[in-house]
Amino acid sequence: MGKTAFILGMRDRFFDALFAIARKDPNVVIISADNGAPSLDKFAFELKNQFYTVGIAEQHMIGMAAGMATEGKKVYTYAIAPFVTTRVHEQNKLDLCAMNLPVVNLGVGAGYAYDIMGPSHHTVEDLSIMRVLPNLTIFSPADGSCAEKMAEFSYRLPGPQYIRFDRAGLPEIYDTNALDVARGFTELVKGRDLCIVATGIFVHQAIKVAKNLRERKGLDVGVVDLFRIKPLPTRELLETLAPYRALVTYEEHLIAGGMGSALLEMVSDHGAYRPTLRIGQEDRFVFENGGREVIWKKYGLDAIAVSARILGWLPKADLNLR
Amino acid sequence: MNEIFLRDKASWVRRTVLQMATRAQSGHVSTAFSQTELLVALYYGGILRFDPKQKDWDGRDRFILSKGQGGIGLYPILADLGYFPLEELEIFTEEKSILGVHADWHIPGIEVITGSLGHGLPIAVGKAEALRSQAKDPLVFCLLGDAELYEGSNWEAAIFASHLQLSNLVCIVDRNGQGVLGKTDEIDSSRDGPRLNPVDAKFASFGFEVRELDGHSFPEIFRALADIRERRGNSKPLLLLANTAKGKGLQLMENQRMWHYRVPQGDDLRSCWDNLENPRQ
Repeated sequence: MGKTAFILGMRDRFFDALFAIARKDPNVVIISADNGAPSLDKFAFELKNQFYTVGIAEQHMIGMAAGMATEGKKVYTYAIAPFVTTRVHEQNKLDLCAMNLPVVNLGVGAGYAYDIMGPSHHTVEDLSIMRVLPNLTIFSPADGSCAEKMAEFSYRLPGPQYIRFDRAGLPEIYDTNALDVARGFTELVKGRDLCIVATGIFVHQAIKVAKNLRERKGLDVGVVDLFRIKPLPTRELLETLAPYRALVTYEEHLIAGGMGSALLEMVSDHGAYRPTLRIGQEDRFVFENGGREVIWKKYGLDAIAVSARILGWLPKADLNLR
Repeated sequence: MNEIFLRDKASWVRRTVLQMATRAQSGHVSTAFSQTELLVALYYGGILRFDPKQKDWDGRDRFILSKGQGGIGLYPILADLGYFPLEELEIFTEEKSILGVHADWHIPGIEVITGSLGHGLPIAVGKAEALRSQAKDPLVFCLLGDAELYEGSNWEAAIFASHLQLSNLVCIVDRNGQGVLGKTDEIDSSRDGPRLNPVDAKFASFGFEVRELDGHSFPEIFRALADIRERRGNSKPLLLLANTAKGKGLQLMENQRMWHYRVPQGDDLRSCWDNLENPRQ
């Protein structure tokens, strides 16, 4: 095995695409709460009238973004993910969502991306608290191509949005040209028995889990990358999930209220019941060091543990798929 | 400035507020009374630029009522000026009314939603910067309650307002010296404080030009705002520290505790009407 090739971060793919948009439209502005990215520097130098750094002052950042948006600006705010979500929940609720303003909060470091930085930087409750906000659209891309396409998409979408990026570059899943961002999800692997619905970095893990279960147990396992968490692409997603006998949701996020909860609510509300296993972090904070994969392993979130958990669950769900 | 006209308007606003609160059995009377002269001067004294017939006119000054609980004191003025019918005031907070306790952007003449404190100033800074960056003339006014200044978001915004040298931003602090429970600086029990003073020095050290005035005196308000359109060469945002009294004009409430969100009843209500009909000069 050779050295892992450098993969440009999701946020950088996004910012590069946004830069091209911002050059043409002077009403596009970016406000950073003292957070950088390699691709952000060209905004600061080449589009300096469209770039603001407000210091470590996120409450002000969101309010200022709202104020600018009421005056015709399309505003992107940027910080580490907890600081554009949990830190500023009320500003998001009132200043952005209650006024339905065109502001896009960009958060970097979804899930345990900031692995050794502790609970202050872990972002495993953002989906839960953000998806209760009316008018808000939430995106959770799993690769750079998806993130890149979201730049143009978010620019055209009028209301408030939250986009959660992983910190590092993740291997490519999509061909940028072929990806349909408006659809909100992609069935990456078609199956029949069981569908794993995943988001963000765990889409990559889900593909491994599906391969495991297919190769070792002969299960026909599908994988869906759900990259629009709110509003859920309900009709199309229910259609896609209809042939499957069981569902597994898989997210690097607390299981309380996250993507899995959203999916269960959708399935329940539409009477599309079937056995569903939610995999995510249990009701706990994580203080362990050692890195992201150490956390996954310890809490049963890596591909091997998840494969085993699914196999152990199938009989409990009274499913005899083979 | 026609001071008699303005005093009559202020008196009408206070009477209307008390009627609205009595009818609805809701509304922040005492805070509406501390801001009355400030709002009357802004809206009737030729300070604010606005056009009730075109509420979204781009040339309007942006007025943000950061102390959103003061909505009851602004609605009569907006109705009187023609933003919406006066009849709306009679059904304040009722099912068919557009007027709730806290100011909200669905109401003609109201720019943004407020009610949770510490939101107005960051929004005002964003508006002022967006206007400045587009070389637009309007000014942005932001009326804050003094106890609202305990919210840290104001100070985040204050740092940035002076960093951007937003001379098109006019902040007004309704310095009535009280929060809900206690007094901000006249500390005589554990209900009071923490101390806010020195508010003037705090804002000055954050880079504002600070002007202190009697917030119930029309001549002082106009003096403090006389040059606001000519301040563009100035590099500082402006802060008016308007000393006021919560419940101004009502013996029952003036600077008294516990009237933040209470509607007077019976003899108390009669004494309020007596004060309003026979004001002390």
